[in-house]
Amino acid sequence: MARKVLLLACVFLVGLAAWAAPKPGGEMVIGFGTDPESLDPNKITSAPAGMVLTHVAETLLLMTEDLKVAPLLVENWTVSEDGLTVLLYIRKGVFFHDGAPLNADAVKVNLERFRTATYAFLLFPRVNTIDVVDEYTVRFNLDKPFAPLIAHLTHNFVAIVSPKQIAELPAGKDILEPVGTGPFKFDAWVRGDYVRLVRNGNYWGDKAYLDSVVFKVIPSDATRLVLLETGQLHAMMRVPPLDASRVAATAGLELLNIPSVRTIYIAFNYQKAPFTDVRIRQAINYAVDKEAIVKEVLGGVGGVSDAAIMPLVFGHAGQEPYTYDPEKARDLLKAAGFPNGFKCTLYHPTGRYMMDAAVAEAVQAYLAEVGIDAKLVTMEWAAYLAYLRKPQPEATFDMFMLGWGCVTLDADYGLFALFHTSEWAPVGSNRSFYSDPTVDTLLDLARVVSDPVGRRATYASLLTYLWKDAPWLYLHYEGQLNAQRTVAKDLIHHPREYILAHKAWLDQ
Amino acid sequence: MIQYAVRRLLLAVPTLFGVTLLVFSMVRMLPGDPAQAMAGVHATQEYIEQVRRTLGLDQPLHVQYGRFMIGLFRGDLGTSIRTGLPVSREVWSRMVPTLELTLVSLFLATFFGVAVGVISSTKPYSVFDYTSMFGALVGLSAPVFWLGLMLMLLFSVRLGWLPAAGRSGPINLILPSVTLAASSVALVARFTRSTMLEVMRQDYVNTARAKGLRQRAVVLRHALRNALIPIVTIIGLRFGALLSGAVLTETVFAWPGVGRLMVDSISARDYPVVQGAVLLLALAFVVINLVVDLLYGVVNPRIQYD
Repeated sequence: MARKVLLLACVFLVGLAAWAAPKPGGEMVIGFGTDPESLDPNKITSAPAGMVLTHVAETLLLMTEDLKVAPLLVENWTVSEDGLTVLLYIRKGVFFHDGAPLNADAVKVNLERFRTATYAFLLFPRVNTIDVVDEYTVRFNLDKPFAPLIAHLTHNFVAIVSPKQIAELPAGKDILEPVGTGPFKFDAWVRGDYVRLVRNGNYWGDKAYLDSVVFKVIPSDATRLVLLETGQLHAMMRVPPLDASRVAATAGLELLNIPSVRTIYIAFNYQKAPFTDVRIRQAINYAVDKEAIVKEVLGGVGGVSDAAIMPLVFGHAGQEPYTYDPEKARDLLKAAGFPNGFKCTLYHPTGRYMMDAAVAEAVQAYLAEVGIDAKLVTMEWAAYLAYLRKPQPEATFDMFMLGWGCVTLDADYGLFALFHTSEWAPVGSNRSFYSDPTVDTLLDLARVVSDPVGRRATYASLLTYLWKDAPWLYLHYEGQLNAQRTVAKDLIHHPREYILAHKAWLDQ
Repeated sequence: MIQYAVRRLLLAVPTLFGVTLLVFSMVRMLPGDPAQAMAGVHATQEYIEQVRRTLGLDQPLHVQYGRFMIGLFRGDLGTSIRTGLPVSREVWSRMVPTLELTLVSLFLATFFGVAVGVISSTKPYSVFDYTSMFGALVGLSAPVFWLGLMLMLLFSVRLGWLPAAGRSGPINLILPSVTLAASSVALVARFTRSTMLEVMRQDYVNTARAKGLRQRAVVLRHALRNALIPIVTIIGLRFGALLSGAVLTETVFAWPGVGRLMVDSISARDYPVVQGAVLLLALAFVVINLVVDLLYGVVNPRIQYD
């Protein structure tokens, strides 16, 4: 009897293992909305391009889906006590898809090239020189300590491609078919249609299970969903919130609600009356029911902001919410000398962020309840960005809605450019002309403190200060509503708004 | 006729020159900054200025236009701001799918439009006439987005007969071309019907009938031939409309055509691509107009070209 039970148990376990074991082979098709603008690390500026590239060309360090910095092409790193020297120890035995070896020279060539790129100014602002110490060691020499550097090395735009490819690239030309070290190799890119990647059989780490992965461009959200339902897609990004419950109820489909690192806010023109008065700014924060907006307008996707950065970002410290209290808002308006409210304009994009126009309308309605008559103005995105980049005396707007994705997952990226006085538009991205010496000091300090505990404490004080000073109407952080077929296993839906197929497999 | 065609093509040169001037100034009149659009929301002013210099957008407008025209004479439409690829390659690779879609839709519009129009006109106020003209009204008024999704839901989701979207084979052409053709079929059908009704009242049709010709010969050889000139005109016009109006269909069916490229490029303020695509479409219009004019002579030999 006992033997029988043991045998049955063995059969069950073997069955279970066979059921759970990843199956190799097959092609997975992932649908997304926008064609990558480029696959050259120096040229890319968008999340979709970063998502495709990261399968082919790997970064030096990895930001895991639970947002920890892990080794990738760099096995280990050290930061000197004064924070001015960073040593990167490169993984040995790694080869690019064209057979070139990964070494310190290859990394230096890539980083030097990247320093001329779109995002270099944000990612490596304090790096003076980059030296090759030995075959597998690279040194960053900084002119001032820059604590976020390690987090910035996980950014998917800092992807390492073959030095041979860079050397052979004609001057002024971009890389069209990236050659990296990743688990997939570039195969084909039909513009506006799809990018196809095939398995790298010589990958240095755990090899991919899939034979190939296709990233298919489908601009219409509704069409993407139809393709998922008919099985032409295995996974998709951006399910329309209205369809969420239907997807969740459909057999064979899975709905995934994943946080995103993007914070959505309405900034006040800090230099323009009446927004110069903190009571007015706080009143507006009390007047708007953010909980209701997230629940009703966004269908529960994302969450109400409790700081200027979202909870997953390093340095986040949650604050006491401005609970919806129109009475308190009216009192504050009265105290500030506006018992009957005032008129103002609220600029907002349409179709850029999830339900952005509907959110602006909801805010307008809440403000009307306390007597603030906000006129809504929307513009097409490129015109909007240009409008919001005027220098201070010309910028006549009162309030504007914008989002900021803190993709490095480090508070510096999410705060410095938006609140430091040196970043006033048009030079930087401080478009609301916020300026406060305490905030500037804390932002500068957090860049040079290398001890994580100290940095956290600095950001906590900064976020508390910013919360009370209310330079924004703090709204919400976005969520990603993705969906996949149940046959698609082990896809990673990353908070950076990527779907990663590195370890994915098809259960069919 | 060849002389006429050559003269018309030469006359197209000033037209196209006017198009370059118009599109060049119009894209630059749009609010928004290509350097900012390319550098992204996070970019600093310093970087934006660097991008502007690299793209040559810091030059005065007449210098930029001069460069554009010199490039054009050399057959170089410039380089895309967004992707860094040659514009001719970008536009052409996206023009092919649009041409596929448009030509199939034009065929559907012509074949079904003329057939339905002719049958309706021979049986006016019959059940067929009322039904088809009501159908035509629906086809004309149905928004492309709605019609596309409905066809997709029926033929892909419910019945599973056709792929919902994408461009992986000829079968993928069916749903988008039907969607795109719907309003044109309707228009051509209604137009054919009314023109045919007019022609059918003419004396020569009565004469043909009096000769004892069969109804089929009367309709096809005598009536339709005389009704063809306005029909050819409307089909030519529809061709242009289909070519430039395919963007919604392309978006619904994830069809990688030139319409979507243009919309994306306008959003990114990718001036060279917008200029290139508009110029190519304008050229297509000129050629279509010429072909229509030449077809008049084929349809009605009395029309002389001199």
